Amino acid sequence: MTALIRGGARILGDEVNTDIHCSSKYFPGRDNAYIAQHTFEQVAPGFAAGFKPGDVIVAGAKFGINSSREQAVHVMRTMGVAAIVARSFGRQFFRNAINNGLPVIECDVAGIEQGAEIEVDVAAGRVAVPARGIARSTAPLPREVQAILAAGGLIAFLKSHPEWKLEERVSSER
Amino acid sequence: MASTIAEKILGTHAGNRAVKAGDVVVAKVDFAMVHDARAANALQMVGKLGAAGLPYARRSAFVLDHYSPPPNPEAANIHRAMRAFAEEHGATLYDVGDGICHQVLPEGGHFTAGDLVVGTDTHSTTYGAFNAFGTGVEGTDVSAVLMTGKLWFRVPETIRVELRGRLQPGVWAKDVTLHMLGRLGAEGANYRAIEYAGTAVAAMDIDDRMTLANHAAELGAKAALLECDEKTAGWLKAHGAREPHPVRADPGAEYCERVEVDAPRLAPQVARNHQIDDVVGVTELAGQRIQYALIGTCTNGRLDDLRQAAAILAGKRIAKGVRMIVTPASRQVWLAAAREGLVEALTAAGASVEAAGCGTCVNITGHLILGDGDVAISSANRNFRGRLGNAKSEIFVGSAATVAASALTGRITDPRTVECGEWRPV
Ligand code: SF4
Repeated sequence: MTALIRGGARILGDEVNTDIHCSSKYFPGRDNAYIAQHTFEQVAPGFAAGFKPGDVIVAGAKFGINSSREQAVHVMRTMGVAAIVARSFGRQFFRNAINNGLPVIECDVAGIEQGAEIEVDVAAGRVAVPARGIARSTAPLPREVQAILAAGGLIAFLKSHPEWKLEERVSSER
Repeated sequence: MASTIAEKILGTHAGNRAVKAGDVVVAKVDFAMVHDARAANALQMVGKLGAAGLPYARRSAFVLDHYSPPPNPEAANIHRAMRAFAEEHGATLYDVGDGICHQVLPEGGHFTAGDLVVGTDTHSTTYGAFNAFGTGVEGTDVSAVLMTGKLWFRVPETIRVELRGRLQPGVWAKDVTLHMLGRLGAEGANYRAIEYAGTAVAAMDIDDRMTLANHAAELGAKAALLECDEKTAGWLKAHGAREPHPVRADPGAEYCERVEVDAPRLAPQVARNHQIDDVVGVTELAGQRIQYALIGTCTNGRLDDLRQAAAILAGKRIAKGVRMIVTPASRQVWLAAAREGLVEALTAAGASVEAAGCGTCVNITGHLILGDGDVAISSANRNFRGRLGNAKSEIFVGSAATVAASALTGRITDPRTVECGEWRPV
């Protein structure tokens, strides 16, 4: 299963929609590496320049709402985002993140500051900032979803499980 | 265990078991839709998967509707790739001019009541008008569906919306959905399904029910589900769909929220200020001048919408200085409108009736760009700043009837205040 993720927190606000992740003005034509240099610049100028691979994005409510574009997640992967912790996500963004092996976790983010070292444990449903004494637990992601994340995304998962069997039990029966 | 429609459809497709909201299931998908604005990504993901065969591509449709016509060579090349893919893998192809994905899918009889349908578009909720669980997905999801015929889903909680009584003449499903947006807020149903029920829903024709299910996307809904009645079954049969498997919610099913709408009290609604959930009664905006009146899109570009417009505009002339564009949702809608005389009535009144497609919904083709300070009223589903190519222009959203009444006077107008003929074969 996914290991403990540890990285610097990079803060974003509420309702950061996918057009702010990667503006449709770049399609078709621009590649993800180019878009990654400009991501979030409308709401957080200099975000890409200050971002180090392995950092964790910490955002407010409805992160990734609006357009369903999967490129928004591909851009995050190109940047080396280790995980995203947000108060809530846009539905399709959440799917896309799982499908691309990017851990996402819904959690209260109050008190988490820019640059703080944050720990994310997707399997246990835990988010912590040890230096500040912040430790929050949240519902762990369901087993089926964790399996996709652990494989590195749905495509990698299907390559090793081409006969994608229906689970014998559903999560509520556990 | 008492279940919602969403729980039942996902449970049946996950190997006939009882599931509840919050469960994650791997479920069989009956049909998949890919449109041109997402096809590049979808085909890239299919390529990455590198499956030896794509046996479920035969249960998919590729639709060329957003870039219609293509505004640049990149878009035209996406069309080339889609045509070639459909040919090679046996997918159904809807070419430029055939219509909008959410219209051609039900018209093509590709799914039936009780089915699970995915599409690369948030408005795939439309299929819920036919009691099918329709939901939006992306390229990676599509690659999985084409290869395995399955996909993972989180079973959503459901909001139950009860529309009591009957809507007044001149008030339509669009006014209900705008009212809902004003009440719950955009994304107010994020992650959730909505069940629409009640006498006002039963009284609606299929076109209006499709608006109800379609516009739930702006509420952030994962699916919007209506029951299957005789009208639904008749429509599905007439369009060659498989035998329906109607799914009803059980009494006692668990809902996360219940909403009641008193239908007779509802007035026509309009969204303003570039926010689809900043909604007011039409009279509050009366007198606001407009330069553009747009009827079309997957929300309100169907035959009933064109009938509403023609009932208001036949034998008259739209206001001087107003440009009106009508884009039928599909070739079938276009042809039916022509047969009924709607194309002639609207054209004679001063509208331009364009080829079917996404048209003036979003500034993708560049064929409608507003000037600085221009004001449009549109029957579309979104009014983000700049959606029609100019951040200095303004977009109001209302029903097709409100758009037509406003085109007639040049100002935002309550359709109940203008003379209106009959254009609804009973
Ligand atoms: S009509 Fe508009 S909202 Fe509907 S599918 Fe086309 S672009 Fe999207």
